Amino acid sequence: MKSLKALIRRELQEHKWAFIYLPWIVASFMFLVVVLVFVGLTEVNTENFSFSTEIYTDPDIIKSMQESTLEERKGAIRAGLLVLGSPLVIALGFALLAFSLSTFFDERKDKSIIFWRSLPVSDTYTVFSKLIVATIVAPLLIIPALVFLHLVSVTAGSTFFAISDIVPFTWAWNAYPWFDWIRIIFSLWLQTLWTLPILTWIMLAGAYSRKPVVAAILPPVVFVLVERVAFASTLFFDALIERLQPWSRASSFPKEYENLAVSEISDIPLLFGTLEFWMGILISGIFIYLTIYFRSKSDYASVE
Amino acid sequence: MMESQIVIKARNIEKKYADGSALAGFDLDVYQGQIMGLVGPNGAGKSTFLQAVLGLVDIKGELEVLGLSPKKDRHELLTRVCSITDVAVMPRWMTVGQVLKYVDGVHPNFDLTKARKILSKTNIKRSSRIRALSRGMVVQLHLSIVMAIDAELLVLDEPTLGLDLSYRKEFYSQLIEDYFDGNKTIIISTHQIEEIEGVLSDIVFLDQGKEVLSGSIEDLNQRFLELRPKADNLEKAKALNPLLIKTELGRPVYLYDGVDIEKLKDFGEVYPPAIADLFLAVMKKNTEEGEAK
Repeated sequence: MKSLKALIRRELQEHKWAFIYLPWIVASFMFLVVVLVFVGLTEVNTENFSFSTEIYTDPDIIKSMQESTLEERKGAIRAGLLVLGSPLVIALGFALLAFSLSTFFDERKDKSIIFWRSLPVSDTYTVFSKLIVATIVAPLLIIPALVFLHLVSVTAGSTFFAISDIVPFTWAWNAYPWFDWIRIIFSLWLQTLWTLPILTWIMLAGAYSRKPVVAAILPPVVFVLVERVAFASTLFFDALIERLQPWSRASSFPKEYENLAVSEISDIPLLFGTLEFWMGILISGIFIYLTIYFRSKSDYASVE
Repeated sequence: MMESQIVIKARNIEKKYADGSALAGFDLDVYQGQIMGLVGPNGAGKSTFLQAVLGLVDIKGELEVLGLSPKKDRHELLTRVCSITDVAVMPRWMTVGQVLKYVDGVHPNFDLTKARKILSKTNIKRSSRIRALSRGMVVQLHLSIVMAIDAELLVLDEPTLGLDLSYRKEFYSQLIEDYFDGNKTIIISTHQIEEIEGVLSDIVFLDQGKEVLSGSIEDLNQRFLELRPKADNLEKAKALNPLLIKTELGRPVYLYDGVDIEKLKDFGEVYPPAIADLFLAVMKKNTEEGEAK
């Protein structure tokens, strides 16, 4: 356990910008956006969500806010927090892709792999520790920034509403979905497991190739083209896209749980009942085995 | 020496790369308490053998290190074996303190307090990033880490390559004075033979993956002798078939293999050869014999 802690700490030290600083930078930026919206300097408009000064100037919105039930308030706050938190989840996705690409390549590039391998840590254990970082630790690390963003944003909103005499300060806090944080943690853990075949494929490319970006991208592109030309189908491409999307929106998951925002903790185990999920884990297992194999073959010649 | 004290037992070790053989039937025994030098030209197979000892390469033949198979029992072996090689670059993004803490986390025989104490005697700060340290300081840091590990075998593969003279001297004096206690075993490969000469207890010369000469420094100093003959004894000295003839300060110096010291003393001043000279002589002889075949 002591060595696992040391290995995880090492990964976080090496990738501190991706896993520690980036969530806070994104959260701070999003909070700035929230404040700018409230003071009327900007507005956020997406397909399903609109956030502007209308929220406290439009009489209809004000009326609906004042007459809203606890459940309606909860739903509105959830939707708002989901939009606010999305950039953090997207940033985590990019951080994980960058981590997967560099984690086995950089140690070969800077030759530190021989130093790491001179210490009593097996290749299997090292690879295992990196997978723990990607699937468990990294998602956890965005939670403090997410919680901070949620709390300061709701505080800012409540303050604006209270000052403008629209609703009392407690309007949002009474309906605040506190358990959402736990739901988000589990959702993110499952999301990384859902995306694991892609992450482990990229890790494998970094473990054996001198050009990991090419090794990670070229084979899937060739595979997609060959399938399209030879069989006029897009099964592989569709599967890839599905893995990159949030798991709850993937076609393999029951349609009623399409929206990540409304899935409850009790829904999460449903993913474990899908064949696609376990297929992904199996394929990831093969990539992990190959990654361990290539790392174990590292000698002086492989880094010179 | 008793068999139980053997640290490295290598029999008929072979390793082939695409561009030729690195080791071609190499045998070696290293016993506890020895400081063994592996000396040979580039491509002689020194690094390949040390990599095999560390379980980094697959080889043919029988190799046991501390009674373990370096490949199969690599994890256990690395708790008992340390290494410093010029290839094993320390992670440049880490701080000195982070590296120490990492090694403390993963190595059961590492003494963090001892490492910090050793480092406190140097001008390396724990807050410094490794990328900010000079090459000499990085090697010094690596040595400090190794010295704080209670290991039975230390493998050094060109540990001082690229360092300036003062760091090289400091490295070996620290190794002998502060690390080596007679129970530990050290195996060193280096091109800078003259610098390890006073450090070694035993030596093996390798060429093209095979042993050319081996023995304890004490035995070699009795077997090989250099003679600086007096002017009137030059012809008589030459008649004893020296292995190597060289000139020092305008005077000829002959190197002999297995000639009685008393006989040589009659011709001039006799002393043990420098390992570098012995190496040159042995390699020359080996090349000539190879060409003759």
